Amino acid sequence: MDSGRILALARKDAAELSRNPGAILPAVTMVAASLFPAFLVTVGAPTIAGRTLEESGEFVDEAARAMDLMPELAGLTGNALIQAFVFHQFALLLMLVPVVAATALATHAVVGEKQARALEPLLATPITTFELLAAKTLTPFVFALALTWIAGALYVGGILLVAEPGVWRTILSARTLIMFGLLAPLIELATLQVSVIVSSRAHDPRSAQQLSSLLILPITVVFIAQLMGSFVLTPAWLLIGCGVLAALNAVLMFAGVHVFQRETILTRWK
Amino acid sequence: MTADLLVADRLTRTFGDRVAVRDVSLSVAAGEIVALLGPNGAGKTTTMRMLAGLILPTAGRVAIDRVPITPETADQTRRFVGLLTEAPGLWERLSVRDNLLTYARLQGLTRPKDAVSQVLGHVDVADRADEPAGKLSKGLKQRVALARAIMHRPPIVLLDEPTSGLDPASARQVRDLIAGLKKEGRAVLVCTHNLAEAEELADRIAILNTQLLALDTAAALRNEGQDLHVKIEFEDGTSETRAVRSLADVPDLVRELVSAGKRIVRVVPNRRSLEEVYLSLVGAE
Repeated sequence: MDSGRILALARKDAAELSRNPGAILPAVTMVAASLFPAFLVTVGAPTIAGRTLEESGEFVDEAARAMDLMPELAGLTGNALIQAFVFHQFALLLMLVPVVAATALATHAVVGEKQARALEPLLATPITTFELLAAKTLTPFVFALALTWIAGALYVGGILLVAEPGVWRTILSARTLIMFGLLAPLIELATLQVSVIVSSRAHDPRSAQQLSSLLILPITVVFIAQLMGSFVLTPAWLLIGCGVLAALNAVLMFAGVHVFQRETILTRWK
Repeated sequence: MTADLLVADRLTRTFGDRVAVRDVSLSVAAGEIVALLGPNGAGKTTTMRMLAGLILPTAGRVAIDRVPITPETADQTRRFVGLLTEAPGLWERLSVRDNLLTYARLQGLTRPKDAVSQVLGHVDVADRADEPAGKLSKGLKQRVALARAIMHRPPIVLLDEPTSGLDPASARQVRDLIAGLKKEGRAVLVCTHNLAEAEELADRIAILNTQLLALDTAAALRNEGQDLHVKIEFEDGTSETRAVRSLADVPDLVRELVSAGKRIVRVVPNRRSLEEVYLSLVGAE
């Protein structure tokens, strides 16, 4: 494996992305879309209604029930407790950022090459298929992960600015660390691999993105379940989720390497 | 005798039940240009891809400077081949320089920036180096793509329809560059539909229609399998065509006609055109 070749191609992809706002826009939009609901529910709506969440009775029971499973909420009471509970639950929405960002960028990185008919000259160089696959996932991976972490930083920063005192500290927990340090990269890797596989059959980035975006569904289901109070995503559950994703990634890697063969790309990718 | 740098030995390639290329053998020596002609779907691109080490043959073998291309050697042997694909395939948002710089790095060149500057001068695109590739004309894009194919100075250059869709002036510039490759001692295989171009550029011409139908010089192909015909024009404005075994028979023929009282104005060898040869071979006549 020649890291120089991987970096050369990844660098090229980064340069192309920086000149293609259309590819980055869905990812940036997703950051805003995933941040907005939590602040709307905890701060925006209560301000408009003139009543805090505690006063309106929203999430009071759910927050009280969650205290046993979320030790980081200990010490908080009243509206601060409810806000912390809601912010924790909505943090899962930020996991949509790696899905959307990785999908948008990877499909452009692969389908874009197909559309430009740039794959054949690329395959005529000494680059190996593994190096090509690695290069094609490296730039979207780094970019999407950076964007996820930026979204996380904005989330905590926003909480620090507008929430009740002490709420932001509860977000800096093992749960969040696992979510951003392990779950997000694994979600991203799975998304990238699905995107590459789907891209091999897709004619344009949008149709590839539509199929890859199906990965949003499981995250949304878990998000709704925990918001309704029927489920609390503890560090243990998150680690189980990471394990499932790691296994899924192994399967996808096998499929991805099979799809990303030189001959397959040249003769079957249309 | 010049060594064959590229040797294809009984190449066959199938895709499922479809045979794309059958039993093709050819070679290209250093400093030689071979043109590969054939109708659409004749297997030219598949042959090119096998010769470039992009896909492996179902049967037969390709050797690059006597090293056979195998799954184990393919990544390394590609280093010795420059491939110009049918479409330029440039990254249009990047500058011409960045396009080439990426390839220089992928080829593992030790001084990529110098190599890019040098090849840009060679194909006469240096003044457009910092423009996005997407803004170039088709002819300029083709020259950049050619620069990409030869930048790592490969001894073998494979060109898939290098002048397709170009205006006459751009096509001439590309043909001059190809002729320059021959002078540099590279083995060049040009895949083209342009018979005049093939005749002008190539030392030998291969005609392919799934299998190799002919491989020889243009002159030999025109004469192959047919007697030479000469057209004799007479003073009274009439003419007739006679078959001769070779041009050496012409003086005897003239003597015979003059003895018979004919007054000859001109005798013209009447060779078949390359187009006639091509069409008769591929069965489209």
